[in-house]
Amino acid sequence: MVLEATMICIDNSEWMRNGDYIPSRFQAQSDAVNLICGAKTQANPENTVGILTMAGKGVRVLATPTSDLGKILACMHGLEMGGEANIAAGIQVAQLALKHRQNKHQQQRIIIFAGSPVKYDKKALETIGKKLKKNSVALDIVDFGEEDDEKPEKLEALLAAVNANDSSHIVHVPSSANALSDVLISTPVFTGDGEGGSGFVAAAAAAAASGGDTGFDFGVDPNIDPELALALRVSLEEERARQEAAAKRAAEESSRQEKGEEPSSNAEDATMEEHVNVTAPEDIKKVTEEMVSGSGHSGGDVEMSEASAEDQELALALQMSMQEGTSDQSVVSKVLEDQAFVASVLASLPGVDPNDPSVKDLIASLQSQSEASL
Amino acid sequence: MSGESASAIHRNQVDLVDFIDWSGVECLNQSTSHSVPNALKQGYREDDGLNLESDADEQLLIYIPFTQVIKLHSILIKGSEEEGPKTVKLYSNKEHMGFSNVNDYPPSDTVVLSPDSIKGKPVLLKYVKFQNVRSLTIFIEDNQSGSDITKVQKIALFGSTVETTDMKGLKKIEDHQH
Repeated sequence: MVLEATMICIDNSEWMRNGDYIPSRFQAQSDAVNLICGAKTQANPENTVGILTMAGKGVRVLATPTSDLGKILACMHGLEMGGEANIAAGIQVAQLALKHRQNKHQQQRIIIFAGSPVKYDKKALETIGKKLKKNSVALDIVDFGEEDDEKPEKLEALLAAVNANDSSHIVHVPSSANALSDVLISTPVFTGDGEGGSGFVAAAAAAAASGGDTGFDFGVDPNIDPELALALRVSLEEERARQEAAAKRAAEESSRQEKGEEPSSNAEDATMEEHVNVTAPEDIKKVTEEMVSGSGHSGGDVEMSEASAEDQELALALQMSMQEGTSDQSVVSKVLEDQAFVASVLASLPGVDPNDPSVKDLIASLQSQSEASL
Repeated sequence: MSGESASAIHRNQVDLVDFIDWSGVECLNQSTSHSVPNALKQGYREDDGLNLESDADEQLLIYIPFTQVIKLHSILIKGSEEEGPKTVKLYSNKEHMGFSNVNDYPPSDTVVLSPDSIKGKPVLLKYVKFQNVRSLTIFIEDNQSGSDITKVQKIALFGSTVETTDMKGLKKIEDHQH
C-alpha cells in the first residue's frame, strides 16, 4: 500500500507505428498504460496517476495526477503519432506535474515508455537523473522498440543516476510473442517494492495465466503472489507427507499381522483379510494403488513387495481388496456364513460382547442377507 | 553574542519541538537510511551517532510546519567540523518549495555557521522577520569542507508561541451549556 503519485510518459513518436509488438507498438503501449493506471489506482485509494506524451509538437500533459481512472482512460483515446520523443523534456515536465501534487504525502514516481531512439547523451541523462534523485522522485523505465544507438546503455545510466534505495526499476522488453502488458505485469513496475502486488495485479495475472500458457505451478506466478504460491506448495508437501505416512503405517500393520498369524488356517487368513478391510481399507487402497501405478514411495513399496513374496495368501487378499465391491462382497458373505468363526472374531475384538443382544441381532440380519444374496 | 543569546533563550524562549506538525515534515535529498527525524526528533537528535545525511549532493531542503503560529528567535544546528552545514537559508511560510525555486524568493534570514557555532551553539535570527511563522523551510546550501555529503546531528528551534484562540476549548464550553 504505497501512497504514490505517478506520471506516465507515453512515447507517441513515429517509431510507434512499427508492428513488431502485437498489434502495434503504440497499441501495445496503450494497453500496458491502461493496466498500470488500474494497478496504481487500486493499490491505494489515494494514489493518483497522470499522463503526458513526449512526442508530437512538444511535450503535452494529457491528465494531471488524478485518482479518477475514467478520466485517465478517456484521455488515452484519439492520440496521434508524430515527431520524435523528447525524453529529457518529458521527464522534467512530469517532475513539475508531480511537484504540484495536492497530497504531499504521496511519493513521486515517473514511468517512462521509451520506444524510440534516445538522442541525448549519457551525461545529459545522468544530470537529469541526479535532479530527480535530489527531489526524491522514483523512475521506472520500460525499454522497448528501437535498440539502436546504445539506447539500453543510456537508459541504464539514467536509472543508475536516479536509483535510491532500489525504488527505481528498468524493464527491457524485446519484441516477442507475449504482449507488452503481459511481460510487464510480473515486473517491479507493477508489483512495486516488495509489496506483493495489489489484488488488481494478482487478478490480472491470474487471468493472463489462465488465458495463455505461462508455465507457472498451480497457474500462480510466484513473483506476483509469493504467499499464495508458498501456501500452495506447503499444502502439496503436507499432503504428500501425509500419504507417505499413511502408506508406511498400513505396511507396518500388515507385516505385523502377518508375523502374528503365520501358522494359521484358511479361515484365519480370511479373518486377516477382514481385519485388513475393517481396520484400514483406505490405507490399503492407497498402498495398492501406488503399487499398481508404480509411483509409490520407497518405504511402503518395498515392504509390501516383501510381504507378498513371503505370503501368497496376503497378496491374494490384497488383490481381492482391490477389486472391492464384487468379489469383496462374496468373500465377506462367505465368512459370515461360518457362525462359529464370526463369534470368535467378535470375541477377539476389544469392547465387543458376542452375547450382547444387539450384536446377535446384527449377525442374524447379516446371515439372512448373505443367504438371500446367495 | 553567544553568551547573550544563551541567556535570552533561558529567559523567555522555549524549544519549539513540541509544536512541530510531524505529519507535514518533509525533507528533500535526504538519504533514506539517514532521514530527517534523526536530526529533529527529541531523543534522536541528542544522539550524535544518528545523523541526517544528504543523498545526491550536499544540499538539503527541510520543510517544517507547526501546529500553531510561532515566533522564531534562534536556531541551533549541530554537525561535524567537516561535514556539518555551512550556509543555511531560512524561509518562513513558503510552502511547495523545491531546489529549483529556492532562488526565486529572498530568504527571511541567512546564517553562515562558523566552526564554533556548528558545535551546538544557538544562533540568533532576525527576530522581526519571524513574528508570524506557520511553517519554516530550512535550505542547507553547502557544508563546511565542500564535500559531497552533508551530515546534520541536531536541529533545534527556539522561540515562543503566539497566543491564539483554542478552538477545542471553545467547543467544550458550548457542550457544557447544552
